[in-house]
Amino acid sequence: MAQGSGNRSRLLLVILLVTALFFVTLDLRGVSLTKGSRSVTQTMLSPVQKTVSTIFSPLGRFLSDVKNFGKTKAELDQALAENKKLSSQLVLASETKGESAQLNGVLDLAGRGGYKVVAARVIGHGSASSFSQTITINQGSRSGIKNDMTVISQNGLVGLVKNVTSTSAIVLLMSDPSFKVGVKITRSQSIGILQGQGNGSYSLVLLDPAGTIKVGDNLVTNGSDNNHPFIPGVPVGQVTVLDNSTAALAQSATVESYANLNDLGVVSVVLAAPTVAPSVPLRPTPNPTVTVLVTPTPTPSTSTTPTVSPSPTTSIKKK
Amino acid sequence: MSPTRIFSTLAFLFILFTIQESAISLIHFPIAGFSLYLAVAISLIAFEDHNGSLVVGFLAGIVLDLSPTSNAPFGQWALILTIVGYLFATNRESFADFTMSPVIFVFFVATGVTLALLMYLGFGSLVGEANGSINRDLVILLGNALWTIIFTPMYLPALRTVRKISLTSKER
Repeated sequence: MAQGSGNRSRLLLVILLVTALFFVTLDLRGVSLTKGSRSVTQTMLSPVQKTVSTIFSPLGRFLSDVKNFGKTKAELDQALAENKKLSSQLVLASETKGESAQLNGVLDLAGRGGYKVVAARVIGHGSASSFSQTITINQGSRSGIKNDMTVISQNGLVGLVKNVTSTSAIVLLMSDPSFKVGVKITRSQSIGILQGQGNGSYSLVLLDPAGTIKVGDNLVTNGSDNNHPFIPGVPVGQVTVLDNSTAALAQSATVESYANLNDLGVVSVVLAAPTVAPSVPLRPTPNPTVTVLVTPTPTPSTSTTPTVSPSPTTSIKKK
Repeated sequence: MSPTRIFSTLAFLFILFTIQESAISLIHFPIAGFSLYLAVAISLIAFEDHNGSLVVGFLAGIVLDLSPTSNAPFGQWALILTIVGYLFATNRESFADFTMSPVIFVFFVATGVTLALLMYLGFGSLVGEANGSINRDLVILLGNALWTIIFTPMYLPALRTVRKISLTSKER
């Protein structure tokens, strides 16, 4: 009797394991059945996520603030100190004002780049039971979002659309270990590959062996064919640490992203890349040049010395 | 397990999964995250008899495989939780009746969660998934274990009550 029960248990175990392995094999062979089931789940979950997000997001933000309290305060103090220093420099040197204006131009990402974007609210974060890093947003294919579109925040690159339903989409964050993006160093124009590490830091490997990396170098996306999945010129991050390994074939560095992925409330999905010069990433907007044209007015005079009237005409022309 | 109980367990797991994906995942826990779903699923596996552990493990895995945020192949969680169910079923007698001792039960569940996540990482590596740095994975494992130890005593009485209600008179 007990042996019969044991046999039944073993048979059940074998059946369940074989079924699970069968599903895994189907998925790895690319059968769309499994993808379809996940899309259905996402469609069912997104209304609940939207509602829960609306109700409970203040609690989530509060816990996030508590978690980042020390860090935020330190960052704020540092930012205030930097702000004071920059302000005094601005007063002292007019050149610095020009640089500051250029910096503002660089940061004005979407407007200057001419990206066509859709703003979306974050309604969910990746499950703790998987090691992937994702967010769910409240806009989907109805708003024109498709798979493999670039997602940005006010500070720069956030990730890439991984899966879309009619009313929601899942975004793979750039911190996910499977995330890779081609980047360009703005200073040297060297090209490299940036990969997520699962935390706030990223690894950069230069493709060009002769290229150089310096601490403080700014990185922007290099762009992909037809702007999918990545549009060019999106700020990505800054080099913080150089990896000086003599054994390494390629130069590498650790990068910190501009976007704070732990505190995303609203993001933008880039529907269309800029139509003008898409291959040129992040160039400062040319400042208007003031040209003063002085027209001498012939004044009848009895004097033998010609005079110039102090009434110049001023015109502003762009470079 | 009767078909009615299989259906009710599946429905309960799906409700739990919805809570996990829509509410718990919004909370930024210090030190990695907490999977209420995984903790409750392991607790349910621990309550069941030999065959029940296998079936509940498989069902819990299938529901977790439906997660749209998952990068893993469909069926990976079903495989892992069936194995965890088998390990619980075969080794439960070594701990006497641990369901009556809440402290041992909590540590048993935390071990189960950690083991399931470790197996997930191991299987993921076999099928070519990128798991990130070892340090980060260790933090996630430790964080999940810690939160499971903290939260399991809170939901355990409610889970016992729900389970009692779902049992048929014959199963009681």
